[in-house]
Amino acid sequence: MGERGYGFHGKVLEIDLTRGDARALPLDPGLVDLYLGGRGLATRLFYDAVDPGCDPLGPDNVVVIAASPLVGTSAPTAGRGHMVFKSPLTGFIGSANSGGTWGAAFKAAGYDALVLKGRAAAPVYLDISPEAVRVESAASLWGLDVHAATDRMTEGAEPGLRPKILAIGPAGENRVRFAAVVNDKNRTYGRSGPGAVWGAKNLKAIRVRGRLKTAIKDKDRFQAGLDQAYHLIKQAPVTKRLMRELGTAGLVELIDLIRMLPHRNFMDCSHREEDLERISGETLAKTLLVRPGACHACPIGCQRHTRVPGGASGAGDEKGEGPEYETTVLMGPVCGVYDLSAITRANYRCNELGLDTISFGGTVACAMELFEAGALTADGDDGLDLRFGNGAALEPLARLTARREGIGNRLAEGSRRLAAFCGRPELSMSVKGLEIPGYDPRASLTQALGYMTSPTGACHLRGGYAVSLAFFGGAKEIPRFSLLQSPIAIRNMQNLGILQDSLGVCRFTGYAFAADPWSRMASGVTGLDFSTARLEEVENRVAVLERLFNIEAGLTPADDWLPARFASTPIVIDGRERVVSEAAMEGMRRDYYRVREWDAAGRPGPALLRALSIKERRP
Amino acid sequence: MTGKDWQASEELLGLFQSLGRASLLVDLQDSHSGNMSVKWKDRSGREKIVITATGSQKGDLEPSQICFLSLDETDYGHYKASSETDVHARILALPGVRASFHAHTKELVTATFDDADKPGAPAAFVPIDPLGWHVLGGEVPVDWLAVPSGSFEVIETVPRRLASHPATVVQTHGTFARGRTLPEAFYVLNIANTSGYIARLLETIGVDLGRLRTAIRADPAAHFAYPPSPYETEGDDVCDFPDEEEILKEFRKTGNRVFESRLSPFHAGSISARGVDDLLYAGKGAMPRDVGGPLRRLPIAAAAGDPEELRRHKLIYAETDFQTVMHCYQPEAEALAHYRYPGEAEPADRVVPIDAEGGFLYLVIPVLPPKVDDAEFLAKLHQYKVVIVRGGGVWAVGAQSLSEVLHHPSSVREICLYRIGAIQRGLDLRKMEPKKAQKW
Ligand code: SF4
Repeated sequence: MGERGYGFHGKVLEIDLTRGDARALPLDPGLVDLYLGGRGLATRLFYDAVDPGCDPLGPDNVVVIAASPLVGTSAPTAGRGHMVFKSPLTGFIGSANSGGTWGAAFKAAGYDALVLKGRAAAPVYLDISPEAVRVESAASLWGLDVHAATDRMTEGAEPGLRPKILAIGPAGENRVRFAAVVNDKNRTYGRSGPGAVWGAKNLKAIRVRGRLKTAIKDKDRFQAGLDQAYHLIKQAPVTKRLMRELGTAGLVELIDLIRMLPHRNFMDCSHREEDLERISGETLAKTLLVRPGACHACPIGCQRHTRVPGGASGAGDEKGEGPEYETTVLMGPVCGVYDLSAITRANYRCNELGLDTISFGGTVACAMELFEAGALTADGDDGLDLRFGNGAALEPLARLTARREGIGNRLAEGSRRLAAFCGRPELSMSVKGLEIPGYDPRASLTQALGYMTSPTGACHLRGGYAVSLAFFGGAKEIPRFSLLQSPIAIRNMQNLGILQDSLGVCRFTGYAFAADPWSRMASGVTGLDFSTARLEEVENRVAVLERLFNIEAGLTPADDWLPARFASTPIVIDGRERVVSEAAMEGMRRDYYRVREWDAAGRPGPALLRALSIKERRP
Repeated sequence: MTGKDWQASEELLGLFQSLGRASLLVDLQDSHSGNMSVKWKDRSGREKIVITATGSQKGDLEPSQICFLSLDETDYGHYKASSETDVHARILALPGVRASFHAHTKELVTATFDDADKPGAPAAFVPIDPLGWHVLGGEVPVDWLAVPSGSFEVIETVPRRLASHPATVVQTHGTFARGRTLPEAFYVLNIANTSGYIARLLETIGVDLGRLRTAIRADPAAHFAYPPSPYETEGDDVCDFPDEEEILKEFRKTGNRVFESRLSPFHAGSISARGVDDLLYAGKGAMPRDVGGPLRRLPIAAAAGDPEELRRHKLIYAETDFQTVMHCYQPEAEALAHYRYPGEAEPADRVVPIDAEGGFLYLVIPVLPPKVDDAEFLAKLHQYKVVIVRGGGVWAVGAQSLSEVLHHPSSVREICLYRIGAIQRGLDLRKMEPKKAQKW
């Protein structure tokens, strides 16, 4: 660890919700050296604290949130906390972070990490500041949506020291398996169902406030990295312009250009041009956008603050945030919907109710295919038409799902359980039970392998954001259909993701640069040698630890596999039919294990653990 | 010269056209100067000389501008053939020689100018760069001839020189190079001109060339990393990974860019991308698009007998997560690796960008000694992604793509050119360099 006080406060806050007590523990200096912060540090603390066989929705599950040495500095986008838990959707590791401002505020309260154990007897919220840590009753908050709970918890705040709120909505309270945890009302720790874990712990929210600064050891070195990072962000077209002007939804037309934009539960990637225009980032910017916004210390500013005018349907004028690319695609074309207002309103509901929009969209799409196949009927008097293309169903489905009412109770289980329940498990477009995001794997073998091998299931963020290489990689663009290059390319992309998550920074910085500026900034802040070679070790170490947890939780190579549709149903790209054949999956998975130096069953062996200084068993 | 002959030799025509174009791309000659020739068997099995026509525009050779001549008699083919035909014929008569390439090679010719009284006996040109030293055999003869082109003296002198040297200079006129194939002759010629360029750059930045040459001659091994692999004349069209269409295209684009952007002379340096067990390897890195070079798929495991060039690629892959590697003999970097700041006894151990773009990309680029050990080489490469080995070229690595790795030497070239330009203008580099770079 760097000299105490540089980059870290040296404190881990552990809260036992069963007992309702909190204690500050010293942060083991060796952990910073080995795991850096954010995702790395959280994964290690989680691994040491949790029983991998625990029920994800039981009291034995553990939630860890960690900041990084850069959080609290002016490093671009460094405002994220990273949350690790056992996922109720997949049964494997859950790992998520979010933009917004909560992570930076948490660190300013004087802690580097938070470990949550046990289950409160009744709903509680946590109040954390440098002066005190309190476990308070959330009786009056339970049942409120995220926005209302956030407003209630910030009422009467001291001017200039507005607290930051991380909260769940009704979806989390009702243990919807893909429920999110939300900060700043609209920025979500979305994937893998952390909201359900909080709900199961009777934890409604965490309020943080503080003004403690992150001290920097070597300001010149930090500044060199900072200058380089800002320069590159201002140069790369995606970070300098596209994101601010069009938001992530600006990717809609671009991803379609490379025929990677999925349609109707991933049946194909074909869209009519005029349909896509109706939901594109350009249309969003012209019709619904009120202003762009930015997370903590972010010069990119991709947030969409939007307004949907009231219409003939009787829906009122509404303001909110979104939709982002993933939301647009998963609740849009993947459900056969090209109605931007319907998507946006459903997005607002998901934010309020605390639902992950990707898994929600993917699960609705699965339900639509099941419905059209006659394998699912809308229960009771829901009266919903679940055919593809019915955008009007999205909002009511979000409400039903969050409340687990009617058909919503089935959707709340996620697409894998839903499809299995209906006797058509092959119609869930998920890996390890996590719904696939808005990039069709048949359009990039690298992305396909990323989904297969992501520790959290089909996640573009943990699995490697290969699309940033497929089309916007600049000098780093790699072939999309190379069996030879994909295993290493995706390992490297996954590792870059681990680094970004362990530094508490946004994935979109990767459009501008990779490890070099971060190496300078991390070394400058801590005074430690975080050379790119050492950062690479950290990345590999974290990947191994996540894998170890998953294996202990029951993972086998069969879990590193895509749904059959991607092997059997081709899409057409540049006149050629493309699938991810079983032979390709088999070969890439084998090669990926080897690149990771895991054995043929995907297990990291003792020699690798020794080489990476990984303590396998918790003390 | 007959149409029929051309029908039978599409490949030969293509080669002349490609290398003619390539020679102009790297500015070895003006549009109409220079000439090239090969020994070639016609359909009846008779050996002939094939040579470019006099006054032909080498950037776009037409079939009618390639002449077929008898080896041992004057025939109708001579009507159009190059005015240097006789010297080419004598060169092609040398044992083992089947190709000859002549160009004005401005850089080398300028580097071999002198203002001594004539007639004179100019000193041989001694390359100070690794490729030049090894490929040209330690020196290039330079002859002053009273009539330096098309004359009997040329016909007598040049083949005699080429009997013992791969290239020779006729002072104020140009360079002649020989080879077993035309690409080999072009390889020699391009390297010779690049050596001249490097020597001139060294003079520009104030390096004492005389002293350096004396030191190199006394102990060449200490000044160069390792010799390049011997030039292979076969297999330029071999491709072991035709099914990897996208990577294949990338290799071709990258190799072409290395050549056209003058990051390495023709067919010098190397490029690779790794798979899990194999690496895809272009051992003749600078490959003009329409000439190409061998593209091999090789086991990634180190093997006894691996050439040093290949061993380094494998070493990088064995010890790091990088996916692509490039080695270039980048002339500006080679020259700048010898630069001493005023008042300092030793060459600098880093190149510090003084331009904005370079400074944002690299605070410094390490300059490593010729015999740098593997551990130091890997550590620096890992940290900086690109390093200059004095007497050993530029090495770069990429996390993902060939395009990414290409960007490094390409940036290094610009960074070096800016520094060289500033030195030439008499500016104080220390004042222009970011202060923090001096600490790194
Ligand atoms: S790029 Fe967008 S998501 Fe990332 S930090 Fe900035 S505003 Fe937040």
